[in-house]
Amino acid sequence: MPTLTLRVITPDRIVLDEIVESVRLDGLDGSLGVLPRHAPMIAALDVGLVRYSGAQGARTLFCAGGFAEVHGDTLRVVTQASERPEDIDEARARDAEQRARERLRTGVEPSGEPLDVPRARAALKRALFRLQAKGYPAGA
Amino acid sequence: MASIRDLRTRIKSIGNIRQITRAMEMVATTKLRRFQEKAVASRPYSREITGLVTRMAAVMGEETRARPLFNPGRGERIAVFVVSSDRGLCGAYNSNLGRLLETWIKENAEREVDFFVVGRKGYQYLVRRGRNVVTYFADPPLEKVDYRAAARAARALADAFLSGQYERVVCFYTAFESVVKYVPTRMDFLPIESVPAVDEGPTASGDLILEPDAASIFDALVPRYLETRIYNALLESLTSEYASRRVSMKNATDAAKNMGNALRKLYNRKRQENITKELLDIVGGAEAVR
Repeated sequence: MPTLTLRVITPDRIVLDEIVESVRLDGLDGSLGVLPRHAPMIAALDVGLVRYSGAQGARTLFCAGGFAEVHGDTLRVVTQASERPEDIDEARARDAEQRARERLRTGVEPSGEPLDVPRARAALKRALFRLQAKGYPAGA
Repeated sequence: MASIRDLRTRIKSIGNIRQITRAMEMVATTKLRRFQEKAVASRPYSREITGLVTRMAAVMGEETRARPLFNPGRGERIAVFVVSSDRGLCGAYNSNLGRLLETWIKENAEREVDFFVVGRKGYQYLVRRGRNVVTYFADPPLEKVDYRAAARAARALADAFLSGQYERVVCFYTAFESVVKYVPTRMDFLPIESVPAVDEGPTASGDLILEPDAASIFDALVPRYLETRIYNALLESLTSEYASRRVSMKNATDAAKNMGNALRKLYNRKRQENITKELLDIVGGAEAVR
């Protein structure tokens, strides 16, 4: 039976290296599904989740954007940051969410400079997806 | 001539110095190991990113030439990124890099140069020499440097380059070859002249699915590529710094040990001499009385 190895690589460590049955990724243009025997692919990823099911059932990782590459029987997710739900610091994510909302509401950076809107939006998105990976409903 | 009491205080203070340098040597050893581990841990990521850039550049072909990061900037000036250390007592680590930098400055004497600096020592050095330091990345302290800090620096450099003030961006750091060999190095950072050719992984073929499309992937990839290059430069420099500090602290400890031994010998001889002299006096006195 064909298998698929999912490897999630960040600058600090290899977060995951496991044989899985299926993976769902958040691509720039929407959700991408990868099953064993997928054709070679390179995809750009958005901030979001990596959902996979393997020997231990369905699992979720937080993924701060990056790239996915399918080559042979391996799917490599190359991202700046990725965490398992149990490693996500909920209080920190909530803090980040509050800070980002505050910045977007007031329209100024804490330093007093005009707001870098795309950056604040990205920060908010990361915080929300971290919470979602932790098991809270989307957008909560 | 040093009195016996002077000798005793000197021996004592050298013993103290030795204890301190030994402690610093051990701290440097621990930190060296930590940064080496960090460097090793970062390798898979930078290898993947580099591999992706290579493959995507092949897919893009001549289209990469249309991108501003791949062409010399419109400006006249040169931006220089320097990685030095926050603290001293690390041997010739900073001065070796400084020498390479000065040679380069001499070769480009007719150009206006702006500096972007990591490390307090390098910042102080450049300011003292009246160089134009545009940005000093003081936060986070070098010891706590992580990928995010590297990404910030990389973005600052890319933004400066794209602002149109600069023709190119050059990076000076210390490459780590082994625990006893660290080489001051110049790296051409921007424009990206060529992407490394790595022969691994799938090459561009008609079968490769690109999601959403080659240009989007490539444009998202290039900043990550620049970040990993800065991150590598930072980690290699830090590893070199602590390796250099460890060696120089070890040398200091050894020197203190030798000096302590020499002084102790001298001290013992003096003490012996005094005793002999006193004995002679006593014997002489006793003879006279008889």
